[in-house]
Amino acid sequence: MSSADITAGLTESRTIPRQWLVNGGRFALAIALLLAWEWGARAFGPLFFAPPLATAQRIVEMAANGKLFTDIIATMRVSVVGFVIGCICGAGLPFILRPLPRVTAAVEPFIMASQGIPKYALTPWLILWFGIGDAPKVIVVTLFTFYITFITVFAGVRGVDQRLINMARIIGASERAIARKVIWVALLPFFFTGLKVALPRAVSAAIVGEFLVATEGVGFSIERARQLSDTTGVFAGIVVAVALVLIINAVVNALERHTLKWRPTDRDMQL
Amino acid sequence: MAAPMLDIKELGKRFPARTGREPPPWIIQGMSFSVAAGELLTIVGPSGAGKSTLLNIIAQIDNASAGEIVFDGERIAGSDVKALHPGLNRRIGYVTQDDNLLPWRTTIDNVLFPCEVQGTLDDAARARAQELIGAVGLTGFERYYPHELSGGMRKRAALIRTLVYDPPMILMDEPFAAVDAQTRTQLQQDLLRLWSLKRKTILFVTHDITEAIALGDRSLVLTQRPARIAAEHPIPIPRPRNVKDIFAMPNFATIYERIRADVQ
Repeated sequence: MSSADITAGLTESRTIPRQWLVNGGRFALAIALLLAWEWGARAFGPLFFAPPLATAQRIVEMAANGKLFTDIIATMRVSVVGFVIGCICGAGLPFILRPLPRVTAAVEPFIMASQGIPKYALTPWLILWFGIGDAPKVIVVTLFTFYITFITVFAGVRGVDQRLINMARIIGASERAIARKVIWVALLPFFFTGLKVALPRAVSAAIVGEFLVATEGVGFSIERARQLSDTTGVFAGIVVAVALVLIINAVVNALERHTLKWRPTDRDMQL
Repeated sequence: MAAPMLDIKELGKRFPARTGREPPPWIIQGMSFSVAAGELLTIVGPSGAGKSTLLNIIAQIDNASAGEIVFDGERIAGSDVKALHPGLNRRIGYVTQDDNLLPWRTTIDNVLFPCEVQGTLDDAARARAQELIGAVGLTGFERYYPHELSGGMRKRAALIRTLVYDPPMILMDEPFAAVDAQTRTQLQQDLLRLWSLKRKTILFVTHDITEAIALGDRSLVLTQRPARIAAEHPIPIPRPRNVKDIFAMPNFATIYERIRADVQ
């Protein structure tokens, strides 16, 4: 009998009702939000507040004529490519800097200062350089993702228990093995936290990028609807964006649960 | 007499000065002793005497400020030796005060970690690990994570993680200090049994005089900071020893009193 069986056996009688309570609470909250939304639509009129039912109808229409699908593909293409590049750079750079404390000290203020550059404001300039294709939007998404993963992974690398590193050195691990088998695994919780902060921003950045330059995509549809004073279209786009973030977040959560299953704590704290 | 396994000559250690402060005090000063091959030497010293610092220097995760260290005929610390080689090519094992198990690895994966990073993970290594797990009573807990084990079990896992790759010399820094008295006696007995099989050279640091007597062939007493060797006591209690009844040995009380008088 493994320990997992034991803990499951101990908490079984309480887990199920608690799970029901959580789901019930979520459902009630969703209903309350929908009611508030409906009330807003009635109070202010459909120009200021698209009614939920009309928004849902619009999404179904978009799904039927294929627009929804092409929009999602376009937005996801930009988000995912930028996100992956940003993640690799943001997670890799701290490992490159780790054996170089003097370079780190020299470079760190520049990285932090460059963070202050308003990234959306770069878009017109990036269009000048890279044209009106995916590239400028991908770069903006990359920048958003890079800073978040860099800062969290950098903190993680610094926070790794030095005693574990010493132990690994004494038993004859190479610096590469230490980076891969000790430091990287130890900072995975930080990395996942970074991912969860970065993901919604990556999608938002792609959508805002599409406001400025696009021929398709969720952001493009929102912007076009706005120009036509089509509030329902704007709301439909926002709902699609939220759904996208929720789905990606669920994937990251599943990945995190699988990767960090060794952790004793916060099993009930999954966001 | 054959050349000692480990020879420490006039060792000194002080930590680097911080700007604008007094020069830092010596933690260790003028310390000399040697350990013979196959000997189990215990070192007793008060808390804060620099015991861990001494072991860190021998294990090469910290450098010496003065003196020299010769290990197996090779100068590993001294004025002409600049670079540190932690564990000196896996020949010096180190069982630290904290178990330092990797929390994301199960018992068996922690024990096999040295073999894995040394590229010696094969069926023979797995069999050896399994045998050691059996020898310290961890059978059935191979797939448990460290947080699912008791303190004593974690100590055992940390101990056999060092034994699995068979370093000729093992440093031990109060490895059993944080467990209850009964478990400690059991762990000490386990250690003696494993040592009697392999006759490794062991340098065992403790603040517990009884432990120093129960385990050691010889016991050194450290002074208060800066640490030096205050006294040396042979421990003529025959082996195999029974740790549980060590108090009942005829010369235990005499040795205990002598050591206690030297510990400040």
